[in-house]
Amino acid sequence: MLEDTREISVTPPTSAKRSSWYLLTGIILGLILGLAYAWLINPVIYENGPPAALGELDKDFYRVTIAQVFWVTGDLERASLRLAVLEDPDPVYALGSQAQRALAAGNDTDARALALLAAMLQGSPQYPSLIPESTSLPATTTEPPQPSVPTYTLPIPTSTP
Amino acid sequence: MHRRTWRFVFFALAILVGFAAGLGYGWVINPVEYQSIGPQTVQVDYQTDFVLMVAELYQAEGDLAMALARLDFLGASPLVTINDAIGYANSRSYASADLYLMENLAFVLQQALDGRD
Repeated sequence: MLEDTREISVTPPTSAKRSSWYLLTGIILGLILGLAYAWLINPVIYENGPPAALGELDKDFYRVTIAQVFWVTGDLERASLRLAVLEDPDPVYALGSQAQRALAAGNDTDARALALLAAMLQGSPQYPSLIPESTSLPATTTEPPQPSVPTYTLPIPTSTP
Repeated sequence: MHRRTWRFVFFALAILVGFAAGLGYGWVINPVEYQSIGPQTVQVDYQTDFVLMVAELYQAEGDLAMALARLDFLGASPLVTINDAIGYANSRSYASADLYLMENLAFVLQQALDGRD
């Protein structure tokens, strides 16, 4: 009886094994807190991005501005350099589809500018074909405008001077 | 020190280690990637080129209200935006004709603001 009692009392505790679990729990807890802080509370804010990273609406505004400038200056080289920074997979298609959207919204001037640039990039002066045939355009818009200002050498925008 | 106190200290250290690892992963290794950025965070050379486009359009149209509306795209005050663009264009030796267009727009804008005050 006495010997049995001794055997029970000397059973080795498992505290040595358990002692490291609280450290692992702490690390996991810290990891979760760290990720929550880094991803949700204070995420990395990107600055100095290219226009290609703009949202679709902002890209549309940038694109139509390029087309409007081309409309008044006729500088195709500069316009194509500017369009390139938007990194559209197919710039002509992007211009054409935006022209149609502009036309549907009633922005005839924007639609003409966008369609003209698309056509000039395609190498075809028949830009009204990009606009639905039911739409009649003023005769004055069938010819691309002549450059009204001298063409300048645009400093190619890059992140490294 | 009491054994329990040590455990508490190590637990706190473990949390700190985990927190630092989480920050490193979340900020450096795998940061949040937004689908798009705003125009105000576009690189300064592209912002300058956008201001140049506005100046080119102003030269052709002479519509200051429209130029202001276009400059509003970049978010900041129009005068600050255009002055920053001129500063950048000067530092990068833009063509004098381009600089002239931007300076002309800045001048007209300044005059309009002075007249309003």
